[in-house]
Amino acid sequence: MPDSIVARTTLAILALSLLLGAIFALAISIRVQKNEEDRLYVRLQELLSTVESTARVTCYLSDRTLAKEIALGLLSNRAVAGIRIVAGDTTLYETPGAVRAATGDSGMRVISRRINSPFVPTERVGEITLYASQAEMRAQARRYGWNMAVVLGLQVAFVAAGVALVVFMLITRPIRSISNDLHRLEVRSGMRLRVPRTNRSDEIGRLVADVNALICGLTTLLDREHELRIEHQVQERKMKLIFDKAETGIFVLDSNGIVQSWNPAFVRILGLDERMTVAAAPQRLCDLLAPHERHIGDLIQRCLTTGQPCDTDLEITRRGALRSEWIELSINPIGPEGLQGVINDITERKWMEVSARRLASHDALTGLLNRQGVENSLAELFGRSTAARLSQVALLQIDLDYFKEVNDTYGHEAGDRVLCQVARSLESSVRLSDFVGRYGGDEFVAVLVGVHDPAKAQQIANNMIAAIGQPIDIGAGNCAHVSASIGIAFPSEPGETPDAVMRRADAAMYEAKRMGRSRACLASLPASSQSNRVATVEGSST
Amino acid sequence: MHPIRMLLLGLWLLYAQVAGADLAVIVNPASRVEHLSRPQVIDIFLGRYRRLPSGLAAMPIDLRTDAPEREQFYLLLVKKSLPEMNSYWARLVFSGDSTPPFQVADARTALDLVAGNPNAIAYIDSAAVDGRVKVVLELKH
Repeated sequence: MPDSIVARTTLAILALSLLLGAIFALAISIRVQKNEEDRLYVRLQELLSTVESTARVTCYLSDRTLAKEIALGLLSNRAVAGIRIVAGDTTLYETPGAVRAATGDSGMRVISRRINSPFVPTERVGEITLYASQAEMRAQARRYGWNMAVVLGLQVAFVAAGVALVVFMLITRPIRSISNDLHRLEVRSGMRLRVPRTNRSDEIGRLVADVNALICGLTTLLDREHELRIEHQVQERKMKLIFDKAETGIFVLDSNGIVQSWNPAFVRILGLDERMTVAAAPQRLCDLLAPHERHIGDLIQRCLTTGQPCDTDLEITRRGALRSEWIELSINPIGPEGLQGVINDITERKWMEVSARRLASHDALTGLLNRQGVENSLAELFGRSTAARLSQVALLQIDLDYFKEVNDTYGHEAGDRVLCQVARSLESSVRLSDFVGRYGGDEFVAVLVGVHDPAKAQQIANNMIAAIGQPIDIGAGNCAHVSASIGIAFPSEPGETPDAVMRRADAAMYEAKRMGRSRACLASLPASSQSNRVATVEGSST
Repeated sequence: MHPIRMLLLGLWLLYAQVAGADLAVIVNPASRVEHLSRPQVIDIFLGRYRRLPSGLAAMPIDLRTDAPEREQFYLLLVKKSLPEMNSYWARLVFSGDSTPPFQVADARTALDLVAGNPNAIAYIDSAAVDGRVKVVLELKH
């Protein structure tokens, strides 16, 4: 019960009332004592007045009997300690010891009254002296004061008890009832607080109504929240499925580029350890994509700065893999401190792009560059090389002899085999830095880089002729024999186009055919007469 | 006697009869007292001091209540009515120290007593005073 508001309130009211009551009672008792003392003094004066007429007679007649009677009458009052009645010089009555006590002790209060003759008012016939015991007066006054204090204290106590009862009935009991209700209340159950019967229209009633309204609102909120949570769980499960099963790697970065979470596809695409867990040392994305460290860092920075999604394609090599892979990385800021990213394996697409590019620039049959490929390569070579370097490039125009016969005799399939074999032979005759192409039909081209000596070029051409001249297995136990005529040209003057050099090589090749085939001819310098001469030869090609 | 004087005397007598006559306090000439003051008379009649200045014991003589001089005497002497005097004496009945004066039926008896007793002292109408007694105090209106 010490925790009960009822007990505390009641105790507080009672204690306060008793304290105040005691203080008041004390103050009143002191004041009453003082008053009472004065009142007793006045009363003693009055007492003397009542016996005055008898005292006059007594003193007038010096009657000791009457004097004694008066004295005894007065002494019956307990406050009167002594009486002395004097007539003239004669003491008619004196309480034994009273005068001595009065003169020696300040505890006596002396009231004297002059007594005149009853018949001659101006004639003094005696004196009556009353010795009042101050101690007794005080005691009486104190008793009176205490009685007053007790009465007052009792009154205060009753009032306090009444107030406590009223507070209990009107305030604490309803509050306890509400408190108990609230304690047992289950919000979801739809329970409401009961309004105490006596408090329907006062502040407590309003409080209960407001609390009920709050509970009602709370219930609605809780229901809504519950629905939202379920909805959220469903969404989360869906997302979880997508997250776990997606082919796309999904991850979250903090602003330092440390990977916070990821899905299985992320691990798979990057070829990471399957057991990689969050608990392991934090991994930075740029460490996972080590060769592109700087690039990734820039990307994250740009993304955070602009707040825009950024993406890039990266070539990576998985641990222990031979072939490189391509991934597409996209990151997108989510909130001020984080980034979400996705990675997709785009290796297939990249390879398709490469093969498409290859198809455009290579000959499908032999795998050598086609005309377009050669021209592109030459344009690039001529575009980026100085004149001095260009003088070290040799262009070879190669044409097969007797190929038409092979085609006609053994069919196109055999012809294709021959062409493929020739391509391999040509490739094996040049260095890797050189390149070889097929212009179509039995027409091939080779570009030798870093060769400036015509004799060297001549020698390589001779090697080619020798290699091509080997019998070629064309299936069904047959062999084909072809040879090659080769024209060699060097870029000879600044500004000469690859096309022009190629035409000169072409002319030199026809020269070789005319000279009896299976040989190489060096093109003449681009003089106008020579050009004309070559131009005339062109018309009689095979 | 002159008729006007007669008339005046008659009027005075009438007045005296109505308002009460002057009173005289008388003693025996043998008491050797020439004169008494009013307080001395009061002390003797009211029991305080019953002794004459000459040393003789004083014996005050009062009249009965129905005597007209009595009321007159106490009114003139101490300004007290008869009931007041009765209550004074009643107060002293039990103490016994002081007693009321001896009472006689009328003024004549009182006069005779004083004439024959040197201790006696009484009051009578001034007009009734004769040679046998001595007036020691006159109480006038």
